[in-house]
Amino acid sequence: MSDSATSRKEAISTSTPSGQPGVLVAAVRVAKRHHLLVRWSHWLNVPILLGLSLSGISIYWASPIYQHKPDPLTGNFDVAADIGIWICAHVPGLQHYSSPPDWIYNHLSLGPGMLASALRLHWLCAYAFMLNGAVYLAGLVAGGGWRGLLPRRTDVLDAFRMFRYYIGLPLAKLARRAWPHPVFSTKYNALQRAAYFSVPMAGLFSVATGWAIHKPMQFHSLVAIFGGFDTARVWHFWFMWVFMLFVIPHVVLVFADGWDTFRGMIVGWSARVKRSEVHGS
Amino acid sequence: MNKRARDFLREQLLPQFEVDPQMLRRRTRRDVLLFGAGAVAALAGGGSLLPQDTLTRLGLRGKMNPPMKEWLLNRALRIDDDVAEALYSGNRMVPVYTKSQITPIKNNYNGATPDPGYVPGWHLTLDGLASGESVALDIPSLITRFSILEQITRLVCVEGWSAIAWWAGLRFDDLLCAYPPASQAKWVRVESSVNLDASGNPDPYYVSIDLATARHPQTLLATHLSGQPLTVEHGAPLRLLAPVKLGLKNVKAITRLTYVSEEPRDYWAERGYSRYDGI
Repeated sequence: MSDSATSRKEAISTSTPSGQPGVLVAAVRVAKRHHLLVRWSHWLNVPILLGLSLSGISIYWASPIYQHKPDPLTGNFDVAADIGIWICAHVPGLQHYSSPPDWIYNHLSLGPGMLASALRLHWLCAYAFMLNGAVYLAGLVAGGGWRGLLPRRTDVLDAFRMFRYYIGLPLAKLARRAWPHPVFSTKYNALQRAAYFSVPMAGLFSVATGWAIHKPMQFHSLVAIFGGFDTARVWHFWFMWVFMLFVIPHVVLVFADGWDTFRGMIVGWSARVKRSEVHGS
Repeated sequence: MNKRARDFLREQLLPQFEVDPQMLRRRTRRDVLLFGAGAVAALAGGGSLLPQDTLTRLGLRGKMNPPMKEWLLNRALRIDDDVAEALYSGNRMVPVYTKSQITPIKNNYNGATPDPGYVPGWHLTLDGLASGESVALDIPSLITRFSILEQITRLVCVEGWSAIAWWAGLRFDDLLCAYPPASQAKWVRVESSVNLDASGNPDPYYVSIDLATARHPQTLLATHLSGQPLTVEHGAPLRLLAPVKLGLKNVKAITRLTYVSEEPRDYWAERGYSRYDGI
């Protein structure tokens, strides 16, 4: 997700590979950006988190966190059902939707009334998610990538510079003015680092709150840390939205940033070597 | 922070090397093709794990039931049950609360609430005892023969809601001491013959409880809720209260306890839920 107009060009140096004397072939300089295990666990998170979210919202259906007094006409008490009813009333083409209260569950989950199937899928994905997290950590250690994620003292100021860059970018484009990307000598800029540090943390807290509400008696001390059983459920629910809210800008910025960044997470190599020249932090 | 710690934490130069552009292209092509194949496999494999109802709703007609599907999902369920069983400790007490922390508890009978007509003639039958005999007990004899304990604990439903309630009853363990099960018994089949389905027809309810859970000091055969004898809504005259299990194992209006050596059938396990349900 790194983006800089300054280092778009692949760094090319000329050398003479052995075996072809006299023929100049441009050799490409590449940097090892992501360890194999980091790449694997990164992509495996896509189906796993999708499975966890779909089944999670189906589990939510059985006892919604956000409820109100039952509606005297319909008996509905679920805020998610209210949202579905509102969507079907206001979005063109949905006026004749068969079951407006189920709209949210039909579109964001496995469906209403599927608690048993949802729990089975949730456990399968939850154990896969924990194993995948261990693979990710192993990759961070093996590739040394964990150091690039650590917060540092300059982060607040640098995050502000990045923030200003993103805010001003559309205006600068419209005005056809140059709007240079702030220069960093690190693998990630401060905003990326904040995101790539927070998301694994959100994963850790999702797992911890998950265990707290899954085994509230054996792990009652963990439940107490999260403010009790009902509060731990609320935390668990909102950690899911942390992932959802991260994924949107994450995907948008990868597209904006281009091929090298995307290839970096598949092949592991980046041809943008300039920004890999890290001289301490 | 000293210098060694700083150096250890400092971000390091990414390893760099030079490659032939053709090699970079070949490697990229290979990995992107593998990635694409993986994405297709994940879509097909992950998609086929979705419940049949969901797939039907998505417009995918025909049965999508690869042989591995049920096996894999049930395996995850069993692993989770095994983890729960490994986490269980007979010495670990569940949190107890004060009367000011009590929250409303709803009648969550899956079907219709039974007609109270069964209560006067009610008795508890014990089978699978070491004596080889069948024993019938009524409420006055249970209350006079066993000490009644009070307990304010949380009942957690598989649906996600929970309630802190003030119970009173006899320890299941005390009943096990007074009427020892057969020596090879490892399980209790807890049964309510008065349970009804949604249309009000008889639908006997039965769950499996491992003897370790039955012997837990906080597992009660409850007779009272909020200082009053249990109402029909909450399982009059005797219900199981095992706070280390999900609410669905806390059988209301128990009519029979059978001690057995093999894991007995379980109402909700037969409907796709897990069997051990330890929390």
